[in-house]
Amino acid sequence: MSSNGFAVQKIVSAIVSDVGRVLLGKERQVQLALACLLSKGHLLIEDLPGMGKTTLAHALAQVLGLSYKRVQFTSDMLPADILGVSIFDRESGQFRFHEGPVFSQVLLADEINRSSPKTQSALLEAMEERQVSADGETRQLPQPFFVIATQNPLQQSGTFTLPESQLDRFLMRISLGYPPREAERALYLGADPRRQLAEIKPRIDSNTLKKMQHLVGQVKTSESLLDYLERLVLHTRRSPDCAVGLSPRGALALLCAAKAWALIHNRGHVLPEDIQAVLPSVAGHRLQSDGGNGDQLVERLMRQVDIIAA
Amino acid sequence: MASAREWLPRESLVWIFAAQFVALLPQCTQLPLWIPFTWAFAVYWRLEVFRGRRDLPGRPLKLLVTLLAIAGLALSYQNWFALEPMVALLALSFTLKNLELVNRRDAFVSLLLAYFVAATLFVREQTIPFAVYGLLCVVVITAALAAQLGRPSAHPRRALGLSTRLLAQATPLMLLLFVAVPRLGPLWSVPQDTSTGRTGVSDSMAPGDFTRLSRSGKPVLRIAFDGPIPPPEQRYWRGLVYSEFDGRTWRQGFAVDPRNGGRVYWNSGERPLPQVGPRYRYQVIQEASHAPWLFALARPDSDSAGVGTTDDDRLVKRTPVFNRFAYEVRSWPRGSRGATVPLSSAERRRNLQLPPSGNARTREWMERLRRQGLDASAISAQLLARYNREFTYTLSPPALGSDSVDAFLFDSRQGFCEHFAGSYVFAMRAAGVPARVVAGYQGGEWVSGEEYLLVREYDAHAWAEIWHHGRGWQRVDPTAAVSPERVRDGLESAAGAEFMQDALLPWHRVDILVKLRLQWDRINYRWYQTVVSFDQDRQRDYLLRLLGEISPLRMALLFLVPMAVVLLGLLLWIWRGGQGRKLPPAERLYDKFCRRMARAGLVRSTGETPRDYAQRIIEARPQLAALARRVTDAFERAAYGEDQTAQKALRKLLRWRLVLPGSIQDARHGQAPTEH
Repeated sequence: MSSNGFAVQKIVSAIVSDVGRVLLGKERQVQLALACLLSKGHLLIEDLPGMGKTTLAHALAQVLGLSYKRVQFTSDMLPADILGVSIFDRESGQFRFHEGPVFSQVLLADEINRSSPKTQSALLEAMEERQVSADGETRQLPQPFFVIATQNPLQQSGTFTLPESQLDRFLMRISLGYPPREAERALYLGADPRRQLAEIKPRIDSNTLKKMQHLVGQVKTSESLLDYLERLVLHTRRSPDCAVGLSPRGALALLCAAKAWALIHNRGHVLPEDIQAVLPSVAGHRLQSDGGNGDQLVERLMRQVDIIAA
Repeated sequence: MASAREWLPRESLVWIFAAQFVALLPQCTQLPLWIPFTWAFAVYWRLEVFRGRRDLPGRPLKLLVTLLAIAGLALSYQNWFALEPMVALLALSFTLKNLELVNRRDAFVSLLLAYFVAATLFVREQTIPFAVYGLLCVVVITAALAAQLGRPSAHPRRALGLSTRLLAQATPLMLLLFVAVPRLGPLWSVPQDTSTGRTGVSDSMAPGDFTRLSRSGKPVLRIAFDGPIPPPEQRYWRGLVYSEFDGRTWRQGFAVDPRNGGRVYWNSGERPLPQVGPRYRYQVIQEASHAPWLFALARPDSDSAGVGTTDDDRLVKRTPVFNRFAYEVRSWPRGSRGATVPLSSAERRRNLQLPPSGNARTREWMERLRRQGLDASAISAQLLARYNREFTYTLSPPALGSDSVDAFLFDSRQGFCEHFAGSYVFAMRAAGVPARVVAGYQGGEWVSGEEYLLVREYDAHAWAEIWHHGRGWQRVDPTAAVSPERVRDGLESAAGAEFMQDALLPWHRVDILVKLRLQWDRINYRWYQTVVSFDQDRQRDYLLRLLGEISPLRMALLFLVPMAVVLLGLLLWIWRGGQGRKLPPAERLYDKFCRRMARAGLVRSTGETPRDYAQRIIEARPQLAALARRVTDAFERAAYGEDQTAQKALRKLLRWRLVLPGSIQDARHGQAPTEH
């Protein structure tokens, strides 16, 4: 799709290759993260420490040319550490609000599940409403606003479980996994990733990002595709495997992410492939099952629901 | 008066008027001219009301209009108890209903009336074009009913579509009812107020009458034989006997005409029938003639209702033939009869009657022959020989003077069948031999093999019968003496260039048109045979054939079995519909592709996307790669890009069964490539 005078495809491949230079062999994850941001969603990256979560988040923020702040979540963090505090200004004789790190276009919330639920929920309003209420005053966050959070797997010590309400606010949850062999070898041989990270130049500005987000909304979804989506969603709600089915917000997220995926792949309409591509990331953390985790559920879901109605 | 909210919207009104127009249109030619005008005026008024320029008429005005209308009807028709005034009354009340067309209820009343008005069409005509028109009426009226449901359904295409669908769904029921519902006697036997428009052979014969008939190619009789068929020279369809001559015109006369003292035997068996079986059995379908006489071969007898026989071996109908009428006839040709009863003196007197004076030369000549001591056959032979020698058969004979027989026999010597028959009978009577003129039709044309004989107006013919002692009445056709081909081959070959000379265009010379006309006649004949003449007797026959016997149980089965079948089908359909929605076209086409591939051993697994599937096909069957790619691409664009041209392309791709040859080939090579 090359409408509005600029080639989405070109930009996308530039971004992916830029980020890919830092995060070797993870093109698909980069694309997913990009799709998430293009559909105005927050991204949760879950993996073991040292897999490049922070690098990805960092690289993305940088390549998109957005102002970003990073917060390292710890167990003793308080909401004010994120949102900001009012401090008495002696000169003017009144309280002045000192904006916290949340007042930026990209908030990197590192190891989000290491903080207490109280602090986690401080992010809730910011993520959903894109505004912050402190001291009885509501302040708008800058546009666009993304939270890219990373978390360690729940089995790790010193973690709090993210509440479902919080999880639901992340459009996607992706995990990186070990890099492929060649990529890892290249990693050994290559230069210092940190320096490379610093070398990443912004490829777009926030205006272009806005245009691209607008284009996502214009990707066509046919009746047949919506039928498929509907079948998928209904299946999660009816299947005995799933304890909780996909919520309407989840379904919308799925659709929106699929549209972004289609746009990234230079198509004006959504294909079932697009839905299947984003389904594990979008639905994996939303579905719960009695046995097995969400990812296995999603696998089964894709196998059980047919593309065309039988 | 209804509140403004309930007033009929514009599209309702337009539809109602359209339905009324369609229903009234064929009546226009029959109704008094002022009724269509009244309709137009009522419609105009109603439209003015719709525009808000006028009010609906009040009670006094409506009363006045009604009275005026009734007065108009009274003035237009003398005879009240007849069909036409009743149809006119219906049309008129239908028309005036427009003046109180306010809400939906009125609309329904008007449209239901329209069905009746449309049905009165069949009182007059039951031919195929009228039936088709009647069907059109029903479609339009039903569409108008559908249009009353609201604005969206008033859209012409939707309303007509709905109407057509409804009627199509009703067709099986209609057929069932047609076959099974008890037939009342002819509903149309209400007297019709028409004495005009008589066609065909009339009850009198003056010179020139038959010449007029010879110019018309209109069908009159259609005769289908059951068993032996009489040879062409025996095909004399007797209809009328003229025994009274006034010097110019031949008439039936007293005691011959059933309306004038002629005896008619209405019940079969009342008149003794010959002991031997009948030689010919046939069914005659007669076109409307507005006269009571029917046509049959000599010595006929009929069991059909309302048909009687007369003393002079003719068939008559109780009421005039206003519509096509079918009757079954058995005939005993005269030669096959045994001894006959002697001629009664009254009959003898009647068949020797001559005007007191006139035509002296003929009388003189006959007197001479009689004085020579010749008997009836010898005189007849002399006369026929004279015809043969000196006379010419022509369709345009010269005018004859007051002594028409003399002028014909001795001066002009050219004429048409009526001249020959008239002069022959006159001469025979003058010679003291009882004789009479018989009129009817002669010959006929076979339609589609020998399915039935088509007799037309121009087959009208007049011939003679003379009385022989001991042999009874014998047919003599003087025309045959002059022009044997008239009797053998019909008028066209006898008259040659004169045939249908006055026709505007010589259609009868164009072979293909003649054939087409015969074809059309055959279709009409079948239509009449199967549909229009489906009366009580035929219904019984048909049901007997269908059911074996007519019992309440079997009748109930006849109704219940089709209904049960239909309901079960409906149930199945609904049940299937509940199972899953109908696939959108693109998906249906893709499903077809998948099924073909499955037959070739490549089953698409559930949840497998078209691209993955295509990839798998390409890997397993490289020869199908192009097809798989194109189908997948077209399907994706059609189903997900909602691209209409892609859908067409997909349909085209799947029309050709390109898959099969490859798959068969593969099957022959073994399944190995698929497996790994």
